[in-house]
Formats: sequence, structure tokens, C-alpha cells
Amino acid sequence: MKIKAIIVLVAVVMVSAFAKAQKTMDTFEVQVDGLGCPFCAYGLEKKFKEFKGIKKVAIDIETGDFSFQYPSEKNLTMQAVVKQVEKAGYTPITSKITRADGTIEANEANTTELSAESVVVTQQVLVAGKCGMCEARIINAAGSIPGVTAAAWKQDQQMMKVTYDKSQVTLDGIQSEIARIGHDTKAHKATDEAYADLPGCCKYERLDQ
Amino acid sequence: MKKIIFTSLLSLVLVKVLAQGPPITADKPIMLGGNSFTTKTLAEIRNNDRGTAVYVPVMLHYLPTSNSLIALHLPYLSYDLDDAGSGSTLADIKVQGKYQFFRKDGTGRTWRMVAKTIQTLPTGKELDLLELSTGEYQGYYGIVSGLETLKYGISTEIGYNWAPDGNQDELRAKFGVGLPLLKPQYPNKQVNLYFEYTSSWLTDRDWYQLLYAQGIQYALKTVTFDLAVQLPLIKDIPENRALNYSVFLGTRYTF
Repeated sequence: MKIKAIIVLVAVVMVSAFAKAQKTMDTFEVQVDGLGCPFCAYGLEKKFKEFKGIKKVAIDIETGDFSFQYPSEKNLTMQAVVKQVEKAGYTPITSKITRADGTIEANEANTTELSAESVVVTQQVLVAGKCGMCEARIINAAGSIPGVTAAAWKQDQQMMKVTYDKSQVTLDGIQSEIARIGHDTKAHKATDEAYADLPGCCKYERLDQ
Repeated sequence: MKKIIFTSLLSLVLVKVLAQGPPITADKPIMLGGNSFTTKTLAEIRNNDRGTAVYVPVMLHYLPTSNSLIALHLPYLSYDLDDAGSGSTLADIKVQGKYQFFRKDGTGRTWRMVAKTIQTLPTGKELDLLELSTGEYQGYYGIVSGLETLKYGISTEIGYNWAPDGNQDELRAKFGVGLPLLKPQYPNKQVNLYFEYTSSWLTDRDWYQLLYAQGIQYALKTVTFDLAVQLPLIKDIPENRALNYSVFLGTRYTF
């Protein structure tokens, strides 16, 4: 009887420990552009191996879908993941984090829902950048802002064309978000830290403000 | 020669294209993540009417960032030449640098361009084995570009090799196409075919050669094994200096 009780107790402890271990991992899904060959995928995986504790790395080179799990207690941010993709030499398009507690953080374009109160306008604003990678970063950041329905940026004009719902977001708020990722705008200048974090090819000439 | 060209073109048409790895005799603009190392070797057995040279370099490549590379090539040379006898020696050491200045990414594709320089140090014997052992300082400056997709890879390079006395001055151009024989998969398991052309014009000597290399590569996640045979298509060069053939054998390991 005692032996049976001990076996049951050990089994319960093991199952609960396993379940706890499963629950304490955040799941990250990133859509990555630029994976032109399997070696590119290796370059991406190798860069993410710098995140100690990374598990279940999977890359579909045909779709650019990259996913992995990471311990939730380390609280890895979306921004850190996006930067790591850039440091690997590739372009992050969309990203999604499913936290261990079930909450979801998404960095995907066009999730804005319009209502009868919506006032949709299209405006252009100065945003500094230098290359195709800047373009992807700016569009990605703008598209992830709640209230923004479309965004485009032209390198030669240094102008971002953005369509947004005025009842949900302001043009100033959009510029603030763009500056936060390292790109100077007409109304907001990026911090020196955010600018310094940009890859070498993205070091644009800073705006005077 | 016509048969070689025909067979190559036919292969290009018939091969089912899927994905590819790094080129063999040509160069590539893609760098695999910042703060990483690659060791590789690409031995060349070069034969012409003058004799045979076997060139075995040990190459160490380091990527400080995802868009820059520095490399050191330490070469060993064994030769048997009519006018210079035979022997084994250290060949010309090379220091290489690359900087990626253009990148355009898409889903399953990338187009990149890099500026490249190779500084050749006069550590080898004065054997006048071009690009192998000349005992002369040389500086090469070029642009490498490449379009890599899951269906094919194209790489091009153009550059100029400069030497103080002009004797090694060379306008060099390369064009390569890589095609896979297996479905793209990750972790890697690939068998790739390469069709690579090298155009070499030694401006001071007015020597010109157009070379064609047929290569095959077996690639795993961190290791590749390469084999290529290079033959001349055009030989506007003294008879005893014209290439008969070169055989390339290589492997690379990334860590």
C-alpha cells in the first residue's frame, strides 16, 4: 500500500512539474523576409542561439515562418526579437508572442477595426530613413499601431503616407511610435540609443529639430 | 569545347530548380549572422603546359556584424614547373574584407551587394602563379552582388586587381548560377550544381582567358563539401601559360 502511494505521489509530482515547465515557456512566431536559401535559415537560428534557454526552434524557409519557445521568466520583448532578426541580417515582417499565461502580443499590420464613429484620413509626414530595411521597419511599426489601416514610405522622398482612424490615434502619436524604433520624424526625434541600435546600413542622416 | 557549353546550357534548362548554397569558384554577398566564424578550404590543382601547382589555403572568416566580414587566408603551395623546378612553400597570404551596402529582402528571396577587397601579401615565392604565388603585393577592389531565391541563385562579381609594377593588374569578372537537386529543407540537406564563369584580362600583359567551372556541392547544416572542374573557353594568352584545367576541392564549416 505504501509503495502504491509513493508511486502515485511521484507520478503526480512529475506530471505537475512537467505541466508547469510547459506553461512557463513563451511562444514566439516571426515572419522573416530574406531567407533565400537554407544557409540563411541557419544564420538566423545561429543568431538566436545567443538567447540562452531558447527551445523548439523551427524555420520554414518557403514561407519565412520562424518560431521558438523561450522561458517566460526572462520576459523577452517583441522589440528584442525584432532587433535580433535584424542583427542576423534579415528583415522581420510580422511577429507574435503567446505568453505562458495565454496573453498574446502581436506586431502585425492591418488589425485595426473601423466603426461608425471612425474618421479615416490619409496624411503624409516626414520620416528619416536610408534603405529597404528602414522601409520594412517603418511600415511594420506604423502598421502595428492600433488605428492605422495602411502605411507606405518612400526612400527617395523620405515621406511616409499613412491612413488612420482619427478617433483611435493621432498623427503625433504615430510619429512618436516611429521615433521610438529609431527613425526621426518631423514631430519626434528618436533617442540616441534607439538610433544607435539600428543596423549599419540604416544609419541615415539625422533630422535637425 | 562546344560539347561542354552545350551540356552546361542543357543542364541549366533541364534541372528542376529549388534552392542552393554558397557558390564555389565565385563569391557570395550573403553573410550568415554577426559575430560568427567560418573556416574553410578550397584546394586548387592547376595544370597548364608549364606544369602543375597544388594550392591549399586555410581560410578563417569572421563576421563582426551581419553586414561586414574580415578574413585571413593562409595558403600552402606545392609546385612542379618546367621553368622553376619543384617544391613546397608558403604562398601569398591574403587578407580579405567585405561590406554589404545594399540589401532588398522578400519572402524566400534576397538581393544583396557588397564591396570587397583582397590585400595580397608578398609572402610567396616569385613563381608568377597568378592569384596563388607571385611574391608581389597586390590589392583587389570589387563589387559582388547576388540574388538568392528558393528556386535559384545568381552571383556576379566585377573588380580590379592592382599591383605596384602593373604586372599583375587584372580586370576580373565572375558570373555564377547555382541550382539545387533536392527540395529546400531546414535543417539543410542539399546537393547543388554550379555553373560558374570567370573572365580574366591582365591589362598590362594583354592576356585574356574566359574560364568555365562546373561544380557540385553537398551541403549540410554547418558543413559543405565542394568539387569543381574549371576549363578554358577562350585562351588569348601564350600557349604555355594557358590553363589546361583546374580542379577545386573544398569544404567549409560554420560555427
